[in-house]
Amino acid sequence: MNDSTFVFYIIFNLFFAVIISPFFMSLIKKVKAYCQGRKGPQLFQTYYNLMKLMKKEVVYSSTSSNIMRITPYINIVVILLSSICVPLVFIPQSSGSGFGNIILFLYLLALAKFFMALSGLDAGSTFGSMGSSREMTISAVFEPVIIIVFAALAFVMNTADIYRMFTNSVNSSMPFLNPIKFLNSISLFIILIVETSRCPVDNPETHLELTMIHEAMLLENTGKNLALMELSHAIKQTLLMALLINLIIPYGLITTLTFTGVILGAFSFFVKASIVSVIVGVLESSIAKSRLFRLPILFMMVFFFSFLTILFEVFLK
Amino acid sequence: MSLDTVSLNLFIAGMVFLLSAAVLPLLFLRNGKRMLRYSSLISAFISCLLVVCASLPVVVYNLKIRFVIYTITYFFSITCMIDRLSAFFIILIAVVSLSVIIYSFSYIEHMIENIKKNMIVCLICFFIVSMIMVVISLNMFAFLFFWEIMSITSFFLVMSEYEKAETKKAGLFYFIMTQLSTLFLIFGFMAIANISGSYNFENLDGVSSIAVNFIFVSLFIGFGIKAGIVPFHKWLPYAHPASPSNVSALMSGVMIKVAVYGIVRYVVDIAQPPLWGGIFILIMGTISALLGVIYALKEHDIKRLLAYHSIENIGIILLGVGLFVIFTNYNLTALATLSILGALFHTINHAIFKSLLFMAAGSVVQATGTRNIEEMGGLVKRMPFTSSLFLVGAVSISALPPFNGFVSELMIFLGFFQSGALLSPILEILMFTCLSLFALTSSLAAACFVKAFGITFLAMPRSDHSKNAVEVKMPMLIGPAIPAVLCVVLGVFSSRIFTFLGFDLPIPDLLVISSIAIISAIAVIIIVKISGRTKYPVRIDETWGCGILSQNPKMEYTASGFSEPIMDIFKPVYRTHTHIEKEYSDKHNTLFQKGFAEIRLFEIFEEYLYMPIARFVMKISADLAKIQNVIEPDSYILYTFVTFLLLLIIGGWFI
Repeated sequence: MNDSTFVFYIIFNLFFAVIISPFFMSLIKKVKAYCQGRKGPQLFQTYYNLMKLMKKEVVYSSTSSNIMRITPYINIVVILLSSICVPLVFIPQSSGSGFGNIILFLYLLALAKFFMALSGLDAGSTFGSMGSSREMTISAVFEPVIIIVFAALAFVMNTADIYRMFTNSVNSSMPFLNPIKFLNSISLFIILIVETSRCPVDNPETHLELTMIHEAMLLENTGKNLALMELSHAIKQTLLMALLINLIIPYGLITTLTFTGVILGAFSFFVKASIVSVIVGVLESSIAKSRLFRLPILFMMVFFFSFLTILFEVFLK
Repeated sequence: MSLDTVSLNLFIAGMVFLLSAAVLPLLFLRNGKRMLRYSSLISAFISCLLVVCASLPVVVYNLKIRFVIYTITYFFSITCMIDRLSAFFIILIAVVSLSVIIYSFSYIEHMIENIKKNMIVCLICFFIVSMIMVVISLNMFAFLFFWEIMSITSFFLVMSEYEKAETKKAGLFYFIMTQLSTLFLIFGFMAIANISGSYNFENLDGVSSIAVNFIFVSLFIGFGIKAGIVPFHKWLPYAHPASPSNVSALMSGVMIKVAVYGIVRYVVDIAQPPLWGGIFILIMGTISALLGVIYALKEHDIKRLLAYHSIENIGIILLGVGLFVIFTNYNLTALATLSILGALFHTINHAIFKSLLFMAAGSVVQATGTRNIEEMGGLVKRMPFTSSLFLVGAVSISALPPFNGFVSELMIFLGFFQSGALLSPILEILMFTCLSLFALTSSLAAACFVKAFGITFLAMPRSDHSKNAVEVKMPMLIGPAIPAVLCVVLGVFSSRIFTFLGFDLPIPDLLVISSIAIISAIAVIIIVKISGRTKYPVRIDETWGCGILSQNPKMEYTASGFSEPIMDIFKPVYRTHTHIEKEYSDKHNTLFQKGFAEIRLFEIFEEYLYMPIARFVMKISADLAKIQNVIEPDSYILYTFVTFLLLLIIGGWFI
């Protein structure tokens, strides 16, 4: 496959991710509201919020430096880049300069996190610093889990390239029946929960409480900066959902580029991601946020799940 | 003239320049004229450039240049060979030295005595010469000779501020460790010489395994002490804070890499260690990496923090070397090449970003007058250039794309990921355990550098030290700027460089990725500019603080506060001693008079490894002192006689 397809892939994947991501944010909110017996916001509320924020005034703290000013841009660019790593609708055949490298994807997310944590410290506010401290703690403890999950996947599929992993899934008839992939899908789901700061790790609903992590870092962001940060958070969530979906239920994901295929693929991804969002929303409503220092126990659980997959593969090979 | 001769001549010219730069300050030791020092530094600078120019063709065209400097006897000659590996290390040494030399132009001027300034210039030049000579030495005599010069000059450099008690302790500790390292090297080398019958480094393939195992262990300990592998790492966190920052940059950036050179040279060229050797290196690497970063997290002394990170990064390099050995034992050549290149690439990357960080930290320490990051803060506005340089280093050491640290860690990660090819269940499980700990290490490093950068540079100044800080002079910005640029260049062009050198590696092309990043950044900025047009101007206001009247530095998060959650999770590693003394004014211990309480970190290695050995040595030397305390000379003659006799018997036994 030639370069022009890859360029089309980049542009398509990027815009698709940007356009659909905010929807899942409001969908999860809506589901949670239903669970709590409320009506909840409209399904397009996140889009309105983002547009409103773009027009709002930007306020910077007098103690903050350029880190605060550049972080939203770094964040959005890095997340857009990482969206190229995860094909949502169709898989380009060229290796694409190694864009599919799983480590590249994870470390791009880490780069965004690094700057977000710095911006949390920048204003000198105790809330922001607390958020940064906790975020870095969680990501540090969680990193081995993520790596082991992907190492297990790489081990099973014999590649460290996301594109090839997806192709592998597309070519196998029932990937979710494969015990190793099934075990890994649990881990991938927990990764989705942890990385998008949801219960039981973090509570996205709370503001100005000592429980918050991710929101605390964004506290000093205003106006369009906040819009960029929220948009990148939404895209990140979509990408992590896509990892789970396209590995386990890759139906609709296409490998050759056709017009109808793209439309159908986009539609099926949308449906599958909506289902995952509903599950996330229901799960979030049914469990409480756990204590920060109890999180390592949860992480250890995920860790053993993925290590189990490796053991499974090693001894059954 | 062939390329070999050109390279050799350039190299010799460079070394001559460097030696003259070293000797010049000795002639005018007490002279306070700046120009003398400057001319010496300039010639050192030129010589580093020459040496880089000489080594580049060797690396690119894979040349081998062999020459003899001086022949004492047939056995004892100083023979040198520049091959690809040596030339790579020469470039590493010269590039870092180059930037440190520029940095030194104004850094050493803050010292008071002229003799000290001149001595430092002289010693630094000798130090660089000795390091370059170590990596090109072909025989053991030359290697040990220059290794010792390197150790001694670095010892003197550590002792630059010899008046301070802290420095004295650090210097002594360093000296003992460095001599121990040489001792183990001598053991190993003697064994090699015994087996191969020559004092050159020869290939030992096909030699009986017991001897090779002995050589491997003793050389690993010898180089390991110098490289700062856990548990021989204790000298690093003592020596680095005590020495001037330019010296720390050289020692941490370059000198410990010379020890890495020793390990790599042994593993690649001299004797291929058996499988257990690879596993041993891998486990040692994992322990060093993990403990290095865990100790770094609790550290608030900025230079000691960096020193602990050196231990961590040496661990990462060892992971690559260990993978190389394991993969070679299974004849997986492509993976072995990937791992050793990852290790070597991480070596040069660490040299570059660690020297950058040490120099930037040195500027901060000079500007604020303290090494404690709890007393800093707000420096990003007072020292904007230094802070951006430190940020580049912090991002690189945290292995974030597109900087160089990312690429080398990625290569090692990929090596681990493909360990499924090993076909040995137990080994695979070990590999995945090491992999998860390695992942933990790299993310803890990111957390640590968020702390280091955030607490040092961001928010409000936490003390007058940082309130009154001003930006450092130009040379102290240009010096670290060179490695900062290299961090970006080596990262972005990494896959191009490897392709150019003839290695086809499965790493992402960061050049393409960064260009897409730049394009999308421009697009984002334009879109935000258009869609985010508001009628309100940007407003600067106070940080929102939940209704407090005014923000003050006392309310900010501290470094200890920042790392507290992580410390809590890794509690078992940070065991503490609580020491309480109470005095009472009555005999029933009811009326408390005065007291003293202290919580001290429990230093496992010091308590269980260093102190027992030190006590043992002290006991033996106390016993020996009894023999020595004799006044009559005849007993001394007896000792000499007995020793001589014993040596003769031992010698006769073996020959």
